[in-house]
Amino acid sequence: MAKPGKGTITVTINGSAAMGSEGMTLLELARQSGIEIPTLCHHEELSAIGSCRICVVEVEGARTLVASCHTPIAPGMVIQTHSEKVLAARRMITELLLASHPDSCLVCDKANRCQLRHVATDLEAAQPQVRGRKRCYPIEDVSPYIKRDLSKCVLCRRCVAACREMAGQNVLHMAYRGFNSKVVVDTDRPLDKEVCRDCDICVNVCPTGALSLVEESGSKKKGKPLFIKG
Amino acid sequence: MNMTAKIREIGKQGRGREELLAVLREARESYGCLTPEVIVELAAGLDLPVGEVYGVATFYSFLSTRPKGRNNIRICKSIPCFLKDSQIIIDTVAEAIDIQPGETTADNRFSFELTNCIGACDKAPAMMVNHRVYGGLTPAEIARILAEHK
Amino acid sequence: MPEANIVLKNCGVIDPARLDSYLAEGGFEALEKASGAMTPAEVVAEVKASGLRGRGGAGFPVGLKWGFTRQAPAEIKYVICNADEGEVGTFKDRYILEGDPFGLIEAMAIAGYAVGAGRGFIYLRAEYHFLKDKLAGAITQAKEKGLLGGFEIEIYEGAGAYVCGEEMALMESLEGKRGEVRYKPPFPPSRGLWGQPTVINNVETLMSIPRIIKNGAGWFTAIGTEKSKGSKVFSVSGDVGKPGVYELEMGSPLRELVEDLAQAQDTKAVQMGGATGRLLPGAMLDTSLDFENVLGAGSVIVYNSSRDMVDIVHRNLEFLAEESCGKCAPCREGTQLMVVVFKRILAGKAKERDIEFLKELATTMSLTSLCGLGQAAPSTLLDSLSHFEDAYRARMKDIAGAVT
Repeated sequence: MAKPGKGTITVTINGSAAMGSEGMTLLELARQSGIEIPTLCHHEELSAIGSCRICVVEVEGARTLVASCHTPIAPGMVIQTHSEKVLAARRMITELLLASHPDSCLVCDKANRCQLRHVATDLEAAQPQVRGRKRCYPIEDVSPYIKRDLSKCVLCRRCVAACREMAGQNVLHMAYRGFNSKVVVDTDRPLDKEVCRDCDICVNVCPTGALSLVEESGSKKKGKPLFIKG
Repeated sequence: MNMTAKIREIGKQGRGREELLAVLREARESYGCLTPEVIVELAAGLDLPVGEVYGVATFYSFLSTRPKGRNNIRICKSIPCFLKDSQIIIDTVAEAIDIQPGETTADNRFSFELTNCIGACDKAPAMMVNHRVYGGLTPAEIARILAEHK
Repeated sequence: MPEANIVLKNCGVIDPARLDSYLAEGGFEALEKASGAMTPAEVVAEVKASGLRGRGGAGFPVGLKWGFTRQAPAEIKYVICNADEGEVGTFKDRYILEGDPFGLIEAMAIAGYAVGAGRGFIYLRAEYHFLKDKLAGAITQAKEKGLLGGFEIEIYEGAGAYVCGEEMALMESLEGKRGEVRYKPPFPPSRGLWGQPTVINNVETLMSIPRIIKNGAGWFTAIGTEKSKGSKVFSVSGDVGKPGVYELEMGSPLRELVEDLAQAQDTKAVQMGGATGRLLPGAMLDTSLDFENVLGAGSVIVYNSSRDMVDIVHRNLEFLAEESCGKCAPCREGTQLMVVVFKRILAGKAKERDIEFLKELATTMSLTSLCGLGQAAPSTLLDSLSHFEDAYRARMKDIAGAVT
């Protein structure tokens, strides 16, 4: 381990000392230390969003769990990334997302490339015992480039951030409030923008089957089978 | 002045991003409703993406993207008013103007909605007509209050 | 203990439309003392020494907040008064704004002097639009008389969103955006409005400031309890004979507020702090009102024995599901799912395991939500399960003795 220098911060993570530089997030430090923390809204090339809360960890002395993707490390922090409390919370959040997820998940083209499924499988999250409200939106396939099925959207906002920060466009925005929040184009029109030609940045960052390329359907391998409990 | 010109003017008074709520409120009061056309014009005037303006307009309950009547009745449905039988007031208003919450009268005189706590719990049951608050309501007073708003 | 008279000192005494009426009651003497005889650091130190804590619900020490903002290295800083009083059952800030607008303006100017801010905003909830002209008139009068120095105060109107009472959402809204919560850190004293260091305080919190400066921290610390100094203003509504605004010394018994002052009888429960607050059974009326025990933002809703607590909690949850900003998953999905479960309970279709699920969901929401709304959303539910479990059991499908 390197000697502590100026701007070096030492913390304890899962019982072992770890060093990071100032401004680093808990998630970055964990990954640097070889500890895997599940994420949904986080994307390395985007600024932190903090919406999904899947990446929460336990920090000694904190009143609540903290989201590792946007919380900077501080000297002397004692962090638990996989305590029972943390795992139970991550599992419940995943189940909440599954509760409003459509049943068409079973036959979704994203199949086992779906990050929600990966997270659910890793956490052994089950279909929640309470059947929640589903979000029902018509599939938007007006655009010759991108297809949107917002019933499958988990509202992580990666696409909104990617469109702005990576593509340099401002096509996607958040609208409405609460459970009815939705990623919209203009005044909630179906996506049909010429600027989306040759740009699949939002599709690439979408963790679920909400965004896909028009020609993609049925043409890609779906990966190894995953099992969801329950 | 036609609508487009007026909206452009609202948008172009050198107002910054922070004025968006005020601009939307003004436009909503002038036109009764933030239609997609109004949103598109305001966005052009303020040099903001249309989706951004729409996102703000649909977040706040006082900025409606649905057509509203000349007078907007908001009856408080929160607990303190509920404890003071706000349901009777809701029913009385619904009967008086013959529409249900969420609707607008055919003559466009009234819109009617239920709202969360308006901070008049000491005068429960309470309601707002436009910006005016009416408290301590009884069914007998409803007709008189509605008559104040043409 | 008698009713206190600190925050509401001028309400009903002065003519809120006339500056000279406020001046006659010693108005603006505190600002004069602060800016004339004290350095900004001394003002912050005085507020720190007073032990004043935020009245918006969280109870954060005001002096610390001011100190951080003062020390933040920046040319431009802001003061925000949170007048987005939206908690169910509260109207005390409305009463203060109606009765003593000059007091608030003076307090904001003191805050500006102390932290080095030249501009302040009053974020006024849309429902209080009728107060805007009165406040604007007060600002104009103070400014014309040259009382504010160079400190500028603007009124910013909300547009109907409960969540904007949360400080991060409020600042987003003030910037003309959707009132969605930002994650912390950074905190407002280092990066707040437009990324600049910002002091954000609730109306009632600010109202104690001129009194503290004028009378000294020692005077203030003599009032209240060890950890809760000064007074608290409450809005009492529900099943009471005299609903209204009452100010009590910190540490007063809840019974004094609801029975002696508001004249409640046959009290089954008291909801303290609104939809995200606590639900206390009538047997706990001797609890004292302070940060050590129970306080909340000042909303006090009283329920008599005829009320059904399951129905009440359902209404709280419906309110929160409607007002959740929707940014973070636990609050957005959790409040919605709680309402779904409650519909089953009310329909007599719920089972024991639904209650277990609600408890687990409540724990996750409290631990992982992005802001106080989601974190405190399940609190009336959890309190009702502790104190009024019978009301739930009577509706369960799979429990002996239940009505099916």
